Amino acid sequence: MSKILSIINDLDEANQISNLTDGYIVPLKDLSMNYHHYFNINQIKEMKKLNKEIFVSINKNIHNNMLDKLKETLEEIDKLDINGIIFYDISIINLKKKLNLKTPLVWAQEHLSTNYGTVNFWYDNGANFAYLSSEITKREIMEIKENSKAKLMINIFGYIPMFTSKRHLVKNYTETFNINEKENKKTIRKEGKKYIIEDEESGTTVYSEYILNATEEDFKDIDYLVFNSNFIKTDDFKQVLLDYKENKPNKYPKKLGFLFEDTIYKVK
Amino acid sequence: MKKPELLSPAGDLERLKIALTYGADAVYLGGTLFNLRANANNLTKEELKEGVEFAHNLNKKVYVTVNIAMHNKELNKIKQYLIELDKIGVDAIIITDPAIIPIAKKYTNLNLHLSTQTSTLNKEAIEFWKSQGIERVVLARECSKEDILDIKKSIDIELEVFIHGAMCASYSGRCVLSNFLTGRDANRGGCSQICRWDFDLYDGEEHLEGEKPFTFCTKDLSMAKYLKDLIETGADSFKIEGRMRSAYYIATIVRTYRKMIDEYFENKETYEYNPKYEQVLRRVANRDNIPQFFDGNYSKDVQYYNGRQETTNQDFLAQVLEYDENTKIAKLEQRNYFKKGDKVEIFGPKDEYTFTITEIYDEDMNPIDIVRHPKQIIYIKLPFKVAKDYMMKIC
Repeated sequence: MSKILSIINDLDEANQISNLTDGYIVPLKDLSMNYHHYFNINQIKEMKKLNKEIFVSINKNIHNNMLDKLKETLEEIDKLDINGIIFYDISIINLKKKLNLKTPLVWAQEHLSTNYGTVNFWYDNGANFAYLSSEITKREIMEIKENSKAKLMINIFGYIPMFTSKRHLVKNYTETFNINEKENKKTIRKEGKKYIIEDEESGTTVYSEYILNATEEDFKDIDYLVFNSNFIKTDDFKQVLLDYKENKPNKYPKKLGFLFEDTIYKVK
Repeated sequence: MKKPELLSPAGDLERLKIALTYGADAVYLGGTLFNLRANANNLTKEELKEGVEFAHNLNKKVYVTVNIAMHNKELNKIKQYLIELDKIGVDAIIITDPAIIPIAKKYTNLNLHLSTQTSTLNKEAIEFWKSQGIERVVLARECSKEDILDIKKSIDIELEVFIHGAMCASYSGRCVLSNFLTGRDANRGGCSQICRWDFDLYDGEEHLEGEKPFTFCTKDLSMAKYLKDLIETGADSFKIEGRMRSAYYIATIVRTYRKMIDEYFENKETYEYNPKYEQVLRRVANRDNIPQFFDGNYSKDVQYYNGRQETTNQDFLAQVLEYDENTKIAKLEQRNYFKKGDKVEIFGPKDEYTFTITEIYDEDMNPIDIVRHPKQIIYIKLPFKVAKDYMMKIC
């Protein structure tokens, strides 16, 4: 039976859904990106009181001058007795060994987590979990499960990050053309489709046009299914989890992303 | 201080030879499989053999990109491909997917370089890769001068840095716009360059409309102005981007950086940046270029808002196919329109000549005034000696 992990908007939401989720993915402030909300160490400590599994996400690309802060933070988090650290940058694999950290690692290189050979490579190098790419098919996910020892996480509900940059794309544009921007949610639009674009201190993220909604798919044996509430109201998110628990379809359109759609890479 | 390797792209066998002839110390290229430019010409096994032999005869090197993020089905084919590359004698492979490391180590003697696609930015990550047997890391294009200096000082491993060409708008490897918007897999060689598309930017429901449309597009990279600083970081290899670029582009860029690097090493104390080289580099490009993140002066000016309305460069007029020293007549193949009376420049790897075209002949040696057909074969009498693969351009 798969467990449910939720990416949440705030502590209140964490409380509200605590009986509907097995755990939380908590993006750490200053060291994670591609999320709409971030949490500090004290908030993580608060969340621990809910007695759920907690995976802290540290998924930024780590620049050389961030290493001291990263080391300090990893040592602090290691004392919290959480279930895992979700990482993108390979420095974290190295530091786990060097600092003798006991917290398990979740290899989560987003679009690069695409085959069981690589999952096994990272397993052999200290990552007991792998958070798979959203751009592979369901068949490939199941093959990875059959051929690897790592515990697996996959996204099944929520907006999916498609683009991550160090550049401040919205700010660069508005500054170049002297445009006053307000604090509203930004989107970029093309051919009738809208994509959320967030320009934060660490750079820019662009999200999928649709909410991935694969809650009706059977992913038996996959260890963790991730539901992401970013840009979704708490009541709606709560209802999605409730519907999932009751084996009912939710109100959002069924959107299966790449689960049944293999991408091509050579155009004849 | 060791002279850095000048590393050029080679989209096909012709460009491999041009790059090495014009001064590159090594080339990187894709074979028929597992590389991120699936739609480039790339090289067949036979071409690769010929290319490696050509390079090794010049005491130069060939690196092959095996840099896709593999899917399960590709895992079954990779071993055989690596064994083939090893037999051909390539000098290294450039990888993104670490699943390749244990296979390459077990079945081949290939040297392993880590692709920029892994966005490697720090010394802890590099220390890990070194422990896995990676001989060289191609640093992320977001690295600053201080980053390179610190990494080089801390870890004994070869570092490769980009010096010229197009940039990903994202951290390399963290963009799948192409997958979502066109179904083409960015990390398996199908990138459809959505970052060059125009979009409308909205703030809530208000259209934020500048004089030009919103785009992700960045200016290109040029390290010409900072070449001295970059050499002094100790970086081992200077890489030019552009496996899809023309032979003329490759010849010009390689030759220009070759001159700059050699000039620095001829006299480090007196070396000064020569703006004339920048002009040459700019002339063959179709987008503005800047040093990007190297100097720490990141600003709004990194963006490029002209979308796909890029200047088509028609400077390249013809390529020399043969030269007869007795008659002093060169056989050329046309690339762009030119005519009698035009003032042109012919350049080779180390020399260049300016002259006015006074006589042109067609394939049957009939005099003609204008050369207007692409790939047209013509003959021109030259007052100086040239050789195969010299390039003629607008002066």
